[in-house]
Amino acid sequence: MEVGIVVETADKRGYLGLGGESSLGWGERFARFPWSLFAMLIILASVGFVVLYSATGGGDNLPLLWRQMARFGVGLFIMISLGVVGGEKLYRRYAYVFYGISLSLLVAVFFMGTMGMGARRWLSIGGFLLQPSELMKVALVLALARYFHDRAALMRFDSGGVAVPLLMIAVPAIFIMKQPDLGTAIMVISVGVTVMVVSGLSWTLIIGSLVVFGASVPVAWNYLYDYQRQRILTLFFPEQDPLGAGYHIIQSKIAIGSGGVFGKGFMVGSQSRLEFLPERHTDFIFSVLAEEWGFFGGVALLLLYGIIIIRTLIIANRASDRFGLLVGVGMTSFFAFQVLVNIGMVIGLLPVVGIPLPFISYGGSSMLTLMMAMGFLCHVSLYSKQHGRSV
Amino acid sequence: MLDDVHAKFQVDARRRLWIVGGGLFGAFSILGGRLFYLQVMKGGDYRNLAEDNRISLQPISASRGRIIDRNGKVMVDNKPDFRLAVIPELTGNFSDLLDRLQPILQLSPKQIDSIYNRVQRQRSFLPLQIKSHLTWEEVSRIETKIHTFPGVTIQVQAVRDYPQGVSAAHLLGYIGEVNDRDERRFPAIHFRSGDFVGKSGMERQFEVQLRGREGVREMEVNATGRQIRQLRQTPSRPGEDLKLTIDLGLQQVAEKALQGKVGSVVVIDPNNGRVLVMASQPSYDPNKFIRGFTAKEWREIITNPDRPLGNKAIQGQYPPGSTFKIVVALAAMSEGKLDAKESYYCPGHIIREKHKFYCWKRKGHGQMGLVQALAQSCDVFFYKLAEKVGIDAIERQARRLGLGDITKIGLNGEKPGLVPSRSWKRAMQGLVWYPGETMITAIGQGYLLATPLQLANMMAAIANGGTVYRPSLVDLGADELPEVLQWGHINSSQMELLRKGLREVVHGYAGTAKRFKPEKVKAAGKTGTSQVVRHKREESGEIIKSDNYRHRDHALYVSYAPADSESEPKLAISIVIEHGGHGSSAAAPIAKELIDYYFSQQDGGGDSSGNS
Repeated sequence: MEVGIVVETADKRGYLGLGGESSLGWGERFARFPWSLFAMLIILASVGFVVLYSATGGGDNLPLLWRQMARFGVGLFIMISLGVVGGEKLYRRYAYVFYGISLSLLVAVFFMGTMGMGARRWLSIGGFLLQPSELMKVALVLALARYFHDRAALMRFDSGGVAVPLLMIAVPAIFIMKQPDLGTAIMVISVGVTVMVVSGLSWTLIIGSLVVFGASVPVAWNYLYDYQRQRILTLFFPEQDPLGAGYHIIQSKIAIGSGGVFGKGFMVGSQSRLEFLPERHTDFIFSVLAEEWGFFGGVALLLLYGIIIIRTLIIANRASDRFGLLVGVGMTSFFAFQVLVNIGMVIGLLPVVGIPLPFISYGGSSMLTLMMAMGFLCHVSLYSKQHGRSV
Repeated sequence: MLDDVHAKFQVDARRRLWIVGGGLFGAFSILGGRLFYLQVMKGGDYRNLAEDNRISLQPISASRGRIIDRNGKVMVDNKPDFRLAVIPELTGNFSDLLDRLQPILQLSPKQIDSIYNRVQRQRSFLPLQIKSHLTWEEVSRIETKIHTFPGVTIQVQAVRDYPQGVSAAHLLGYIGEVNDRDERRFPAIHFRSGDFVGKSGMERQFEVQLRGREGVREMEVNATGRQIRQLRQTPSRPGEDLKLTIDLGLQQVAEKALQGKVGSVVVIDPNNGRVLVMASQPSYDPNKFIRGFTAKEWREIITNPDRPLGNKAIQGQYPPGSTFKIVVALAAMSEGKLDAKESYYCPGHIIREKHKFYCWKRKGHGQMGLVQALAQSCDVFFYKLAEKVGIDAIERQARRLGLGDITKIGLNGEKPGLVPSRSWKRAMQGLVWYPGETMITAIGQGYLLATPLQLANMMAAIANGGTVYRPSLVDLGADELPEVLQWGHINSSQMELLRKGLREVVHGYAGTAKRFKPEKVKAAGKTGTSQVVRHKREESGEIIKSDNYRHRDHALYVSYAPADSESEPKLAISIVIEHGGHGSSAAAPIAKELIDYYFSQQDGGGDSSGNS
């Protein structure tokens, strides 16, 4: 109760925003739009189309490429729309509503979702297949940003202050894990925790939790059954099962390593052309790129991702309020973690958990969610301090 | 105050934002580092792995060389074996196809079960073998209607064929699936499992030349093993044909003569040591090793006490019996202790150290010179001669004629025979040499052992004036100089005396082989009878014959022809018939047959056999 009062006071004084709902003209909105980010995403997606063309057999499966391009087009439209509509406070105001809707859809999936590839992930609404776990990623960032924005004045969190955001993370994470979709659950948790850390969680608490977590791993290990341990070990050491779980990762490492410094050349990567590489147009598309374009190609892509991440972090840094900053950090980490986990997986550093490579892997849900994330970032950019001063 | 708090938050959150940024930078650096490790540092290793994935090496088989005799007659050949295979992905309904093939192929229910079993386990684009050893009729019935059987192919594979069957089987050998020992024997050859390799005889000895070199086709395959395209091809080099010194016609005459007997015939060209005949009986059909024996056939072969798989010409070791008297005579001559005038009296036996040494002729031969002693095979003459010469000179002479050691003919399993000596006996038994043992040795008994090949080679040396050649089986052309194992050292007049005695064996009035004179040429020879067990004797000295076949004496005969002083000898022959009884009756007739056949071929003209 007391907390609410403080926030109200702060809000009225205009410290946590521009005071009232500011509204910009449409021309101004498009002028402020971060077109550099837009351009970088188009470059990134184009790289994706080229690699996808090769990964799908080079013209053997053109409809697949057209579909991906169309999705990207739709995605750009969503990104621009989310970026320019509404006033400054629009997303802050509806953050909890968005979160609530996403969570309900997630629960609905649990009871009435469509099965596919051994998991219950999709919800069929009016002929469209919706993947609520993807929606949840952005909804969670918005809700957490709102929560911490409201508590801006607090430097220390009491137990309730930590418990609420933890619950906001844990509930969807558990539903996603039940689908089962371990990769997305880990993404949701990582993004949520990152937002918490940036929002001012005390270092004592952060380091304390890390120590407790580290200490509990060996204890938990002792309580596991043998077959559970085996499953976890295979996750981390796939080479022990070369024809089963390890096959993907072994073939992927061969593809990447054999690419060498300069790569084998466009459309001539034997590992992907001859189908040794599994999931080559989806989760393992980075291996196709690294095989055909070599170390230089792989590093170039990492650099492109790096530049985009720096650009989005700059947006977050310039945010006019705490909500904007946390949304910026959350969306950036969501994008960046997905890159790290996917590439870490295909080069054999992380377990295989089925996370697509942003803007490169074939697939609709991932692309659209990322575009939504980028749209929210654009919206933050529109109302950034820089522009605020200039107005 | 609130201002301170808010400002502090701004600073803190922005700092934390860049901490997150720093963390991301670190993580991206790790990814970059890992890429560097995989692609730059380990790139070569992974490139090899990718090539292993991509390229499947398929062998192109090299046809194995044929083996032909000196006249070009084919002794070992390859023949096509037709096999029906099906590529299941092209057949449409597989069981329907199999039903339509059934009237032609007549597969057993067991075979059909096996086919259905395999079709489920094997990738559908790989050929599935349905039936091998197709008959001509089956092949033609399928070929004419091949378009009605989609996915059916007739594959041809060369299989080894021994068109002469049992003929010269031991010499030619056979091939079989490669095993560890074969791989160790030929470290230079890269065998694949299931490869065939020479297991015995010439097939084994000349494996490297005969097998040639496999070619290889490098195919690009995809992850499921389907072939995408051919990358490179190294053609195979077919094996070389092997031309033997064997005269197949003469070989078959010898084999026919051995029919129903147990023993061996070897014929050598005395001028160069080339082997014209190497026969061993009983024999086996090497084709059975290719197609497989039935359990019963195999049991019969390995339990047969006459050991059909052994080559008696090089592995049979027999006491040479009276044929060894040639060695004793030469030993005495080279010691200067025997000439044409030398003669001994044969009373039927002699007594030495209270022991009675019998002549085969109880009544005795009377006064004997060398020529008659050879012709009539007088034992007492050679007892006395041996006494005078001594075991050391006899041993030396035996070795000079190639006895007691392998001839190095180059066949696996050749046995050295045995020439005893004082030192040998001391080493083996720790005993001194008794004079009585010299007497026994003089008539080719006791410890002495020789192989038929050694005896033929010895006879070749007698025929050519004393040179012992290394016997050869491969015809390397007329220019190839034979390898000499021992040079002759007996002067020609002495050798002529010996030869006169050997001619008398065949042509003399009392010769032991006088009943088997060749029709066209003169021959020289020496009969021999070698004891298998010590016979019991009656008080009179008469031998009490055992009824047991296995106790009967081996019959031996060594010979050469032509033996007149004008013509050059062409054939040196040794014949051993196990448990054949007397050399004169069981072995000598075979020599006559061989000589008659050979020289009638010569006269017939056109056939170049023997004239190398």
